[in-house]
Amino acid sequence: MAVAEAAQRIPRALPAPWWRGRRGALVLVVLGMIVGYLGWKTEAPWPAWLTWNSLVPHLDHFQVWLSNNRNVPDPNIAFRIFNGFSNFLDQLVAWFISFFHKLTWAGTVVLGTLVVLRFGGRRAALGVLAAFASFALLGLWEESVETFSLVFAAVGLSLLVGLPVGVLAGRSWRFNKAITPVLDAMQIVPAFAYLMPVVILFSVGPGAAVVTTMIYAIPPAIRITGLGIRGVPGNTVEAATALGSTRRQVLTKVQLPLARRMLLLGVNQTILFALSMVVIAGLIGGQGLGDAVTNGLYTDPVMAIFAGAAIVIMAIALDRSTEAMANRTDPAHRHLTAAKSRRLRLYTAACAGTVLLTVLVAHLVGASAAWSRWTAQDWLRTYVQKALDYVQDPSTFLFQHITNPIGNFLVQHGITPLRNFFIEMPWPVTVAGLVLIAFLLSGLRPALVALAMLFVCGFVGEWPNSMGTFAQVLVATVLTVIVGFVFGVWAAESRRVARVLRPINDVLQTLPQLVYIIPFIYLMPVSGVPGIVAAVLYAAPVMIRLVQRGIEDVSPESIEAARSFGATRRQVLMKVKIPLARDAIMLGVNQAIIMVLAVVVIGGLVGSGDLGYDVVQGLQRNAFGLGVVASIAILALGIMLDRVTQGRVRARKQA
Amino acid sequence: MSDRVRGQAAKGRRLLAAVAAGAAIAAAAVLVVGTAGASNKAGCGTITLNEQAWAGSTANTYVVKAALEKYLGCKVKITQIAEIPVYQALANGKTDAVLEDWQHVDQYNQYIHQQHTVVMGGPNGVVGHIGWYIPTYLMKQHPEFKTWKGLKGKESLFKSPESGSQGMFLGGDPSYVQKDQQLIQALKLNFKFVSVGAEPAQVARWSSLYKQHKPVIFYWYTPQFLNTEFQLSEVQLPARFKGCVDDAKSGGDVKKYRCAYDKTIIEKVFSKKFANSGNPAFKALKRFNWSNADQEIVAKWIAGDHMNPDKAGQKWIAQNTAKVKKWFGKA
Repeated sequence: MAVAEAAQRIPRALPAPWWRGRRGALVLVVLGMIVGYLGWKTEAPWPAWLTWNSLVPHLDHFQVWLSNNRNVPDPNIAFRIFNGFSNFLDQLVAWFISFFHKLTWAGTVVLGTLVVLRFGGRRAALGVLAAFASFALLGLWEESVETFSLVFAAVGLSLLVGLPVGVLAGRSWRFNKAITPVLDAMQIVPAFAYLMPVVILFSVGPGAAVVTTMIYAIPPAIRITGLGIRGVPGNTVEAATALGSTRRQVLTKVQLPLARRMLLLGVNQTILFALSMVVIAGLIGGQGLGDAVTNGLYTDPVMAIFAGAAIVIMAIALDRSTEAMANRTDPAHRHLTAAKSRRLRLYTAACAGTVLLTVLVAHLVGASAAWSRWTAQDWLRTYVQKALDYVQDPSTFLFQHITNPIGNFLVQHGITPLRNFFIEMPWPVTVAGLVLIAFLLSGLRPALVALAMLFVCGFVGEWPNSMGTFAQVLVATVLTVIVGFVFGVWAAESRRVARVLRPINDVLQTLPQLVYIIPFIYLMPVSGVPGIVAAVLYAAPVMIRLVQRGIEDVSPESIEAARSFGATRRQVLMKVKIPLARDAIMLGVNQAIIMVLAVVVIGGLVGSGDLGYDVVQGLQRNAFGLGVVASIAILALGIMLDRVTQGRVRARKQA
Repeated sequence: MSDRVRGQAAKGRRLLAAVAAGAAIAAAAVLVVGTAGASNKAGCGTITLNEQAWAGSTANTYVVKAALEKYLGCKVKITQIAEIPVYQALANGKTDAVLEDWQHVDQYNQYIHQQHTVVMGGPNGVVGHIGWYIPTYLMKQHPEFKTWKGLKGKESLFKSPESGSQGMFLGGDPSYVQKDQQLIQALKLNFKFVSVGAEPAQVARWSSLYKQHKPVIFYWYTPQFLNTEFQLSEVQLPARFKGCVDDAKSGGDVKKYRCAYDKTIIEKVFSKKFANSGNPAFKALKRFNWSNADQEIVAKWIAGDHMNPDKAGQKWIAQNTAKVKKWFGKA
C-alpha cells in the first residue's frame, strides 16, 4: 500500500516536453516582459491620475494634529489613558530593574540559576550560569539587566494578550480569518513606521519600548496558540462533548492540556521575537543592550559587537531554559509519588533559602547592584579589534580577490540590471506580466490579490521604489533559497552538519542585523550588497530548518520502497525525498520571502535604497507620511508574495 | 477515601510551602529596601540629558554631566533617544535637555512655537559645516578640485561599480540635512548620487577608498573626530545667495539649491518644564558653551582612544576649570 502510494507520487519517468505546459507559458510571459522593457523603456512610468498624491500630506497633518492635541496641559481623556498605561509600564520595568538591583549581582545570579535548576535541570542551569558569566565578562551587566527587565515585561504582557486571543482564534475559524491580516500587518510593517505615533501616544522610555516590542511579539503568541488548540484531535473533543463536558470544560480539561507543548513553543517564540526588537526599542528609550548597539555603531563597533553577543547569549539561554522547563514539567512524562513530591518541595524550599541567604550575605559584604569589579572587556577588545582591523583593511587577499569582486559582480550583473528592468518597464507590462505569472503559478485568487497589491503600491505613490525593492527581494530570495536548500538537505542527510548548523542558525536569527552587517559594509562596500547579505543571513536559517524538517519527515516506507527497487542513496534523495518534501520546501520559500521583506528597512540603513530608504527617512527626518506610505507598499508586496507562494502549495495539492 | 484526604493534605502543604516561599521573598525584598538607604538630595536632584549616537554629542553630554556632578552635586541620567522622537520626550518632561541639535526647523515650529512645550537654549558654541570633501592626497594631485568647476569633465575619475560610466558622488547619512542630488543637477556635473546608508556605512566606504589611495568625493562635515585621523580637503561650492536653501526636503526647482551649505549653528533645546522649574542646573546648561576644537578633542578621546566617556568628561573639566566655572556663573 505504502509502496504503491510512493510509486504513484514519484514523478513519471517520461514527462511531457516542458514547453507544452505551464513552464512554457511562464517563459512566454517573461519574454513578453523583456520585449516590453526593451521596446518601451522608461516611456510609461506609473501615471499621475492613478496616484493619491495628497495622502502623504494628510498623514503628516494627522501626526502634527496628534502631537498638538497630546501636548496640551489638559489633554483629552483618551490621551490620559495612554499616558496612564505608559506610566504603568515605565514603573513596571523600573520595578524589575530595581528588584534585580536589590538582589545585588550575586543574588541575581543565584536566583536565575536556581529557578532554572529546579524547573529545567542541570544542563539548562549551567547554560544560564554561563550566560551570567558572559554578561559580566563583556562588561555589560547593567545593560543586560535593563534589557532582560524590558523583555520580561513585554513578553508577560504579550502572553497576557496573545494567549486568550489565540485560544479564541483556535476555537473559531471565522475569528481566525478576521485577525490573520492584522497579524500579517503587525509582523511585516516595519517598526520604524509606527515608532513616531507610538512615541506621541506613549511618550518615550521603557513603556513605549514595551509597546513597540509587544506589537511585534504578540502575533507569534496568537498564531502558535491557535495552531495548538486546532491541533487537538477532533475526536477527542467530540468524546469529551459526548460525555457531557461544557465548552469551558472542553477548553480547560482537554484542549489546553493537550495543546500544552504548542503553548510553550508559543512562549518560547514570543521571547525570541521580543528580543529581536531590542535595538529598535533602544531608539525610543528602551535603554540597555539596544542603546549599546546603536551607539557602538557610530563610535565604537567593537562595543556594538559585544552588545550583539550579549543579546544572542540571552536569547539562547532563555530559549534553552524555557525548552528544558517545558520538557521537565510535562505532566505526561512525570509520575510523582508522594515521597518524590515531598522531596521536590524540600528542594524548592532549599533553593528559596539559598537565594535568600545569598542576598543577605551579599548585602552584609556590600556587594554592588551590578557586576563591575573586573571584566574581560579590554582583553576581548584586542582580539575583536584585530579581526575588525583585518576586515577594514582593503589590502588583504580576502578583500581584493574574493569579497570585493563578488560584491561588485552582484551589483553590476545582478541588482542593477534587475532593478532597472522592473523600474523602467512600462507599468502596464509589469502589472500584466506579474499578474499572469501569479495566475500560472497559483491560480485565479492569488492573481487577483497580486493585481490589487500592485495597484496599492502605485496608488500610494511608491511605484518605482516598490519595483526597486521587488527586484532586490527577488535577488535576496533566490540566494536564500539556494543557500537554504543546499544546507537544509545537507543537514537532513548528515547528523554532524545538523549539529554544527543549529547554533549558527540560532546566532543568525537572534543577533541584531545591524551587528552582523558590520563586516560586510567593509568587505563588500557597494550599495545594495550589504542589505542583500543581511536579508540572506536572516532568512536562510528558517529555510534551512523547514527543508531539513521536510526531508526528515518523509515517510520511511517510501524510502524503504525505493531502496527495495535498488535505488542508490543519491537516487533516493533526488527522486523520493526531495519531491515528497516539496510542500515543506515551498513553505520554506514562503517564509524566506516574508523574512527578506522584514529586513528591507535594515537595507535602507546600509544603502539598499528604495522603500527601505523612505521608511528610514520617515522616522529620522520627520517625514511620517512618507514612512507610512512606504510601509504600506512593503506590506502590499509582502501580501502579494505570500499569497502567491502559499497558493502554489494549494495549487500543487489540487493538481 | 483516605487517598483523597491525603491528596488534599498534600495540596494544602504544597500551598503552604508556596506561601511560605513567597513570604520569604517578600520579606527579603522589604529588608533590602530598608537597608538601601535614602538617596542624597543635594542641589538640583536628577537631571536627564539626551545623548545622540554620534561622538560629538557624546562629548557634549558627558562633559556637562561631569560638570553638573562636580559643581552642583546633581545626579545626571543619560537617555539615548533618536533625534526626532526626543522632542516628544522633551515635551513630556521625560528628558530635560538636548545639548546638540542640528537645526530641526520643523520641530522648532511644532514644539517650540506652536505647542510651547520645548524652549530654545541658545547655541552651544559649536559651529557645524557641511560640504563636499575629497582626500588631501587627491587634492595635491588635482589642485583644480579646489572649486567645483575643476570637477567638470573629470567626473569619470570617481567611477564605481554602482555608477556605470558616471562618477560616484557618495551621499551622506539619509537622516542628515542634504541637497547633493539637487546640487549635482544644478551644477550640471556628470555624477551619480549613491547612498550607502547611515554614517557608519558611509565612513566604511570612503575610508576604504582612502586607504587604497583611490579617488572619492563625498558629503562630509565638521566638527568630526575622524577629521583628526584622515586628511580631507574641501571642494568649494558656489557662493551663497539670498534665498538659497540647504534642505532638499522642501522640494522645488534645483536652482534654489545652487550654493554652498550654510554654516550650521548648533543649538541646545530644553524641556519647558525644566526651564520653568527654577533648577540651578538650568542656568548652567543655558550658559554652557564651548568650541569646535574643545568638542573634537573630547570626541577623539572617547571614539578614537576608547576612553570611558565619564572619565573623558572629568578629564576635560579638570583641564579647563576657567571655562567650566563660567558656566556656573563664577568668574
